[in-house]
Amino acid sequence: MSAAELEVVWLSLRVAAACVLVSALPGIAIGWLLARWQHPLRALLHGVVMLPLVLPPVVTGYLLLALLGRSRPLGRLLYELSGMHVAYTTTACVVAAAVVGFPLLAESVRLAMLAVDRRLEDVSRTLGRSRLATFWRVTLPLSLPGLVAGCVLSFARALGEFGATIVLAGNIEGETRTIPVAVYTLLNVRDGEGAAARLVLVSVALSLLALCGSFWLNARQRRAEST
Amino acid sequence: MHLEIRLQHRVGVFELDVGFASEGPVLGVFGASASGKTTLLHAIAGLVRPARAQIRVGESVLAQRPGGISLPPEQRRLALVSQDPLLFPHRSVRWNLEYAPGAAQRLASPAGARLAALLRIEPLLARGVRNLSGGEKQRVALARALLAEPTLLLLDEPTASLDAELARDVLGLLQELKRELRTPMLFVTHKAPEMLALADDCVVLENGRVAAQGPPLALLARPRALGVASLAGVDNLLRLPVLRHDPSSGVTFLALGGEVALAAPLCRTALGVAVSVGFYADDVLVCLERPRGLSARNALAARVRRLDALGHEVLAELAVGEHALRARLTPGAVRELALAEGMAVVAIVKTSAVHVLGEG
Repeated sequence: MSAAELEVVWLSLRVAAACVLVSALPGIAIGWLLARWQHPLRALLHGVVMLPLVLPPVVTGYLLLALLGRSRPLGRLLYELSGMHVAYTTTACVVAAAVVGFPLLAESVRLAMLAVDRRLEDVSRTLGRSRLATFWRVTLPLSLPGLVAGCVLSFARALGEFGATIVLAGNIEGETRTIPVAVYTLLNVRDGEGAAARLVLVSVALSLLALCGSFWLNARQRRAEST
Repeated sequence: MHLEIRLQHRVGVFELDVGFASEGPVLGVFGASASGKTTLLHAIAGLVRPARAQIRVGESVLAQRPGGISLPPEQRRLALVSQDPLLFPHRSVRWNLEYAPGAAQRLASPAGARLAALLRIEPLLARGVRNLSGGEKQRVALARALLAEPTLLLLDEPTASLDAELARDVLGLLQELKRELRTPMLFVTHKAPEMLALADDCVVLENGRVAAQGPPLALLARPRALGVASLAGVDNLLRLPVLRHDPSSGVTFLALGGEVALAAPLCRTALGVAVSVGFYADDVLVCLERPRGLSARNALAARVRRLDALGHEVLAELAVGEHALRARLTPGAVRELALAEGMAVVAIVKTSAVHVLGEG
């Protein structure tokens, strides 16, 4: 593999890892809200969270650009606060991947937390532990397999993200050219097919690796629980 | 311990509307399923928030609504043990026991060691909770609740999910806890022998209302008025006069009438005075003829009065002396013995299965 191809792979890995890092905490919080919040507005929240899953990614990218573009109010505000633009930077790749992958993470967490027996949380409260301590000591550890699965899904989705990325982040070599963007670009140039094929192989291998990792973590968790 | 509870709470079409005060120390709440027992416990524990509530345990007011406070469950200091042990499945027995704030120090203290010995949990400490037996789990759940040092221990049918033998074991432990640690308890049950064995004061709940309150034995004396008879019906509750004591064999004989006597564990009640005894229908065996070489002290001449098929078990009502005993049998046993109404049989009851519940 050439240095340029390695750079593409390395950028993709960094983007996917950053995407998981920034979406894990909000994913846990939203997943918990969706599983435990008893309020009519919960259905609305659920709808909004799931929206990126059903929207065409290009549309999601367009909406993000409308929000974070360099001449848009939020984009300008962020520029004034941090001195950095979001659109057409590596940060934009992370934002696009995080938003598109967020429903997968939040939904995994929600389902895992729904499976936690609420009576265990009740017992914890009557034993003198606050809602937060109960969450930390009981709910979160018991839904850990779901959280891990959600992180893996979000990571894998970030590796494959194309539509929203190309709109929000563009196709800048070394900065926003992730594996899918690079494959698309290579297929449009003469003699690019060999490089594209190599990147496709890497992509398949990385996805398989992520899945195996999640299976392994799940099995380990089950072994730990059964002893 | 003074306990004062006034609650109004609606769940769908069911309304719980109760008011009672009790000095305990062990208060039994007695009622059929769907009488509101569990809702009552959850409201006291703070897990549901009734529209109107006044809850006072000892010196502290836990809820005063509307208008006043309603403490969250973690500030009420009422540990709850339900019929499912609900141990935290992802950690060890020790982690579960040390769960409540301050419980680790308490477990390490002499009082904690005494509790651990009483509930026989030392050998379990290092184990995970998933492969404990049902009885072990319930003992750990009890210890975990007590290590939270609750001002009042709430028990929601703590023996309901255990088989008869384990249920007796847990009931015995609760009696010991009451005697040794003097833990105030509020427990709900639909088993009359359990209420009689444990409660000092009893509230009968019917359709979300208090139907009666008083010492369990006084309530038992007028069961029909309370609908208690129908709940207690499957087991054996008898009031029998003392015939004679036999201290050397540790037995007191009670008159069943018609020259038949029931051997019960030795008690101190004066001759001729009636005592209440209870035993489970599971503990009555039926034989066609008087067996030889039997350890059980009671082999009572009986006649089958009725056989009621209840799903996959048969409840046999046996006439013994002037009383009726109930035995729980399998349909297979009924077939094999060719039991029929009117047949003469022998009813076997172990002395230790007979619980002397008190005088009166």
